[in-house]
Amino acid sequence: MKPDQQIPRNALVWIIASQFSLVAPHAGRIPIWVLAVYVFAALWRIMVYRGSWSFPGRWVKAGLIASSFAGIFFSYGSLIGLEPTVALLLTAFALKLIELARHKDGYVLLFLGYFICITEFLFSQDLPIALYSLLNVTLVTTALVAMHRPGEHQFNRKTIRLAAVMLLQALPLMLVLFFLFPRIGPLWSVPIKTHTAQTGVSDFMKPGDISSLGKSDAVAFRAQFDGDIPGASELYWRGLVFSTLEEGAWRSLRYFDVPPAERRAPPVETTGESLQYRIIIEPTQQNWLYSLRYARPTSPGVMSGSDYVLFSPTELEDQRLYGVESWPDAILEPELSPWRREIELRLPGTDNPQTRALAGQLRSQAGSDAAYVDAILAKFRDEPFVYKLDPPLLPAENPVDAFLFQSRAGFCEHYAAAFVVLMRAAGVPARVVAGYQGGEVNPLNRTVIVHQFDAHAWAEVWLQGRGWMRVDPTASVSPDRIEWGLERALEQQGGFLSDSPLSLVRYRGVAWLNTLRLRYDALTYRWQSFVTGFDRDRQFQLLNEVFDGISVRKFLLVLAASWVLVLAPLAYSLLGRRRAREQRNCDRYYLQFCEQLAPLGFVRAPGETAGEYAARICRAVPAIAGEVGEITRLYSELAYGPVEASSGRATRSERELKQAIGRFRPARKMRFDRDPR
Amino acid sequence: MQVQALIDSAVAEVGKVLLGKEPQIRLALCCLIARGHLLIEDLPGMGKTTLSHALADVLGLSWKRVQFTSDLLPADILGVSVYNRNDASFSFHPGPIFTQLLLADEINRTTPRTQSALLEAMAEHQVTIEGETRPLPEPFFVIATQNPIHQSGTYPLPESQLDRFLMRLELGYPHPHAEREMFQRRRPNGNERVVLEQRISIEQLERVRALVAEVYESTNLLDYLQRLVAYTRTAAEFAVGLSPRGALALLDCARTWAVMHNRGNVVPEDLQMVLPAVAAHRLVPSGDYAGDGAALVELMRRNVDVIRA
Repeated sequence: MKPDQQIPRNALVWIIASQFSLVAPHAGRIPIWVLAVYVFAALWRIMVYRGSWSFPGRWVKAGLIASSFAGIFFSYGSLIGLEPTVALLLTAFALKLIELARHKDGYVLLFLGYFICITEFLFSQDLPIALYSLLNVTLVTTALVAMHRPGEHQFNRKTIRLAAVMLLQALPLMLVLFFLFPRIGPLWSVPIKTHTAQTGVSDFMKPGDISSLGKSDAVAFRAQFDGDIPGASELYWRGLVFSTLEEGAWRSLRYFDVPPAERRAPPVETTGESLQYRIIIEPTQQNWLYSLRYARPTSPGVMSGSDYVLFSPTELEDQRLYGVESWPDAILEPELSPWRREIELRLPGTDNPQTRALAGQLRSQAGSDAAYVDAILAKFRDEPFVYKLDPPLLPAENPVDAFLFQSRAGFCEHYAAAFVVLMRAAGVPARVVAGYQGGEVNPLNRTVIVHQFDAHAWAEVWLQGRGWMRVDPTASVSPDRIEWGLERALEQQGGFLSDSPLSLVRYRGVAWLNTLRLRYDALTYRWQSFVTGFDRDRQFQLLNEVFDGISVRKFLLVLAASWVLVLAPLAYSLLGRRRAREQRNCDRYYLQFCEQLAPLGFVRAPGETAGEYAARICRAVPAIAGEVGEITRLYSELAYGPVEASSGRATRSERELKQAIGRFRPARKMRFDRDPR
Repeated sequence: MQVQALIDSAVAEVGKVLLGKEPQIRLALCCLIARGHLLIEDLPGMGKTTLSHALADVLGLSWKRVQFTSDLLPADILGVSVYNRNDASFSFHPGPIFTQLLLADEINRTTPRTQSALLEAMAEHQVTIEGETRPLPEPFFVIATQNPIHQSGTYPLPESQLDRFLMRLELGYPHPHAEREMFQRRRPNGNERVVLEQRISIEQLERVRALVAEVYESTNLLDYLQRLVAYTRTAAEFAVGLSPRGALALLDCARTWAVMHNRGNVVPEDLQMVLPAVAAHRLVPSGDYAGDGAALVELMRRNVDVIRA
């Protein structure tokens, strides 16, 4: 191998370092043995460098490839899907290191490194990941630079500085591409993430489901209002409406449960002031979106369901930004269709006899449906009901009876479910609503941060003339939960985020820590709304605003102009460098002359002087000797003779040379006079 | 003045005794005109002495020869002061170095101490003995000969001292025609030396040198020279590239070569012609390159483009 094909020592170190840096963010997702492959490959390559081991043979390589395929298959049970594919790529990336012998291999490895850097974004597009990727790109670029500095035996900052400068120079182009490059829809669809659990509220509710969410401090979504933020007791983020009770679980109506005529929600007359806000929701792998009632989406791609909830036709695999306008005072469904009434009153079976009896008794005592609702809420408030994150388990038989008459301790879903059963048993249409309640207001950027522990369930009751009314039985049991959030509600008994002692949310009491946390959250919001949320619609909107209406022609013009704007300084500096090399006119003309002769079999060797070249041609093709001799004489005089450059004589001779070369048509004469030898 | 004709006649005169070595004779003349010292490296019996003697004759220079041996001392070359009893004073007896053309035969067989005494005199054109500085005659040339260093009993000249010689030539075996002619001419009539006619006078030499000073080099040419030199410093095959002194030597010789061919300006061919003689002994191949100095020169000649692309 030629010495200039070898991978320099420093480049090898940079390559290994960037490999480990690239695999690090994937570490939690890939099987542990893939990391072992990285260590093993690095060790092997270092031993090769020290001359102790040799590069693997063909059969060893084949064996390694086969076993990594097998390993991925056994670890994931499949080779298809996002995680197995990425893990396979990462394994291949590690193994490529042990056959890293030449520059060529280095290029393959490092360009693959850039690609691996991108794969991380398939899993997360958060700000820290983006910053970390920047570090990775710098490392890989540094390795590329180091490959071209063979003589270096000490690490110096120049290598990494050059890489950083190169990346900085690429920054304007990056911005142009980010803002202007057309956001083309996916040309291929990324395989579904097989191992990502669905998060957030699910489409059915059993007792205990929501209290388990109460233990998580993950962010569910963030909302930013255009005007004032409503009070916490008004922030009921509706996500799902559970109308059906089946086998002890509440679930929402499926699409085909609803007859076609009922699939569109009855029109609502919007009254009162509206709230306008944007929500950035974290990926949930589910469809539903959260909003305050009564909500109409202001972003395309958000659908409205028959029970006034919003949903996305596709699962939320990434963060999603959507705008909503809500009218809290609007009356929902003043008239109930017979089908709807039947659905919202249905109470299957004959279980919970005590509850049914109680409902009948209290309804007959109350004068109206509204009075009956008040009576039930008063019962929750006055009798010793307890709000608890970890209530005792309820029996499968007659769970509502057990809750109302024995345990009397529960989380919001227990109260909401019991309340709805009481309503339906008394013939009042009612349903459970699941979503989030409240949220933390970040004063730094006026956003509401809604965490998973803000998950909540409440009820809606339909009253004649007033439509669907929100009733929250939890508010009767534990007013603190609604007013101040879960933390305050659980203050007495403890247990708020008891499973995650390191969660920053737990330390809201520490002022500076809390400020830091909120500041970071504001930054995250900004990142999500401006960078990851910058989709096709936002791009179109921005261009429309900036360029006062955008058309295809205008867009192409802007795109081209911005490229020129970014690349022009670069081109100028390169041109300047070329000019600094001072290629003289006569040299340029003479090289044109050489180019004319090259296809005829007279390639001038680098070390061949004009005289030698001319002599060689004249010997072979005497017919063009005169012209070649004249051109060579003119050139030699200009290039080496005592002629002042840019003097009158030089300009004349240059013109003469140019004309002579312009007239020169060697191919024509050679056809007849080529020396047969 | 027809320099070319003058040189041709001198070359022809030397050619009478050294058959078939015209290129080397020309280069040797070029070296002398460029005020450089010449190193001839070849096996014994190749005509090294003949060449130097013939050059002295043709140029009409006084000529002395020192055979270097391992016990030769600096004083044997430079001279000594001897006490004169008659007037009770020291008088200086100049050594063989006080001549116009000195043949230092087999310079690599003497000790470094003696070598450096000679080399100093070559560089300074003067010698200092017992505190007194004495100038050497003008013109002053040294033609040193050297056996190939793998022969035993030699002290090879270090690179730094090789650099003091403007050119290094190898004579090589004669061409078969020339060798046959030499056989025919041979008459075993004793050790009588053929005395050659002087063809170039000191005045003519000075005039040629004045012409050399006026030669024009275009930027294109200087550029090519610079690229040649830069190549030796960057290419992997070279352990030691050409020093700026080496580059200047190359330019001086190319200028002289141009004048010797009746040209007022230097062309790339001039550089290429003198390149092997001037550069080869100054270049050191890197450890994993198999070739010698001559191969390195060939690399330079082939790989550096004459015309800037």
